Amino acid sequence: METIKSYLEAMFAGLPNTAEVRKAKAELLQMMEDKYNELIAEGVSENAAVGTVISEFGNLDELADDLGLSTALEVAHDIQSATPRRNLTLDEVKDYMAARMKKAFLIALGVMLFVICVVFPILITGHGAAGAGMMFLDIAIGVGLVIYGSFVGAEFKYIEQEPCSIDMNTAKYLKGERQHFLPIRSICVAVAVVLFIICWVPNLFVTKGLYTLGPSLMFLLIGIGVFLLIYSGMISSAFDKLLGINDAKTISGTYNEGVKAPIRYKSKTAETIVTCYWPAVTSLYLIISFLTFQWHITWIIWPVAAVAHKAVVVNCEAEEEF
Amino acid sequence: MVEISSDVIRGYNDTMILSILMKEPSYGYEISKQIKSISDGKYVIKETTLYSAFTRMEKNGYIESFVADPDPEGNGKKRTYYRPTEQGKAYYSEKCAEWELTKEVVERFIDNKENVYGNN
Repeated sequence: METIKSYLEAMFAGLPNTAEVRKAKAELLQMMEDKYNELIAEGVSENAAVGTVISEFGNLDELADDLGLSTALEVAHDIQSATPRRNLTLDEVKDYMAARMKKAFLIALGVMLFVICVVFPILITGHGAAGAGMMFLDIAIGVGLVIYGSFVGAEFKYIEQEPCSIDMNTAKYLKGERQHFLPIRSICVAVAVVLFIICWVPNLFVTKGLYTLGPSLMFLLIGIGVFLLIYSGMISSAFDKLLGINDAKTISGTYNEGVKAPIRYKSKTAETIVTCYWPAVTSLYLIISFLTFQWHITWIIWPVAAVAHKAVVVNCEAEEEF
Repeated sequence: MVEISSDVIRGYNDTMILSILMKEPSYGYEISKQIKSISDGKYVIKETTLYSAFTRMEKNGYIESFVADPDPEGNGKKRTYYRPTEQGKAYYSEKCAEWELTKEVVERFIDNKENVYGNN
């Protein structure tokens, strides 16, 4: 069966990563798998079964017209062909991601500087305009970073504006990269939420002599949280942008409009868990609140549940097979 | 050994699939198995041919698809099933009439001993 899978994988490797192509691949694999299993059940040797299945597969060119792949197959055969949709190479995609990460870092850092600018006038008191001066310097650096950041990756403007396509190999690479990035994104969001929640805590420990330290730390914590959210969010949206390139509209427009791939879950149980998640959290919140009557603190359930939701969804949604 | 040319049979794949689906809704491999057994193994439809026929006929409104589990107890893996629409059934009758005519015409040019039109 592995041989059949890799055969199909190889046949589809150069095709665009559209919902139709993925569906065709899944349906063809299912038919081949059914045939293979029946041959094996009839007592045919594994090699003979694989041979029969592959010899009776047919030719992908046959599917081209029906799936709106005519242009796609041409692109696969000849990237230089005059198609309005630009096929992105793996190297281009890697460069684009690197640029987007740099851009995300610069902009996130710039915004963080805006948030923490007030720290200077709070900390530096009694030195004339020094605090205000530092604040404006900080804002100036922040503006510089944001402007510079917005120019980074300008050479990849066409990816955002022109119709492009990526092939299955590139999509596979991106999916792998995103899979590695997802836990990092979750940690960033979780840490940011925790920072937002505890940011006022330093105010509690401030002793009289250091009364400026509390608010300063508060803005610093918020700044770090904002940085984490923007940085990880921009990278995350870059992945979504690239992986969504083919799904937005069908490559040639000959087939029905692009089909959005439905969310699939790992199992029936996983689907139930995700569906019941928010109603369950709501019930829990109400039950606990009414039983304890500690409304002033039970709201904590919400931010915690929001963070946990991400983890639940990541664990329950099936990874796309293709 | 003589084999069916895929060019010749192409126009009638839809007819065969519709004829099977009119008995009961079915899915990919099951349909290809039936085509093989009804033709006594003389015609084995390729997977790509079959899938291409499904997408084309669905687009033309001759068949519609739904997802179901072939295992009546619901423990199996789900398959995409197809069933004919009213339009598909009408198309099937049309294709049957067309084939009768095609057969009759082509038959007149086929050289064999029972060719009744041969020595007119």
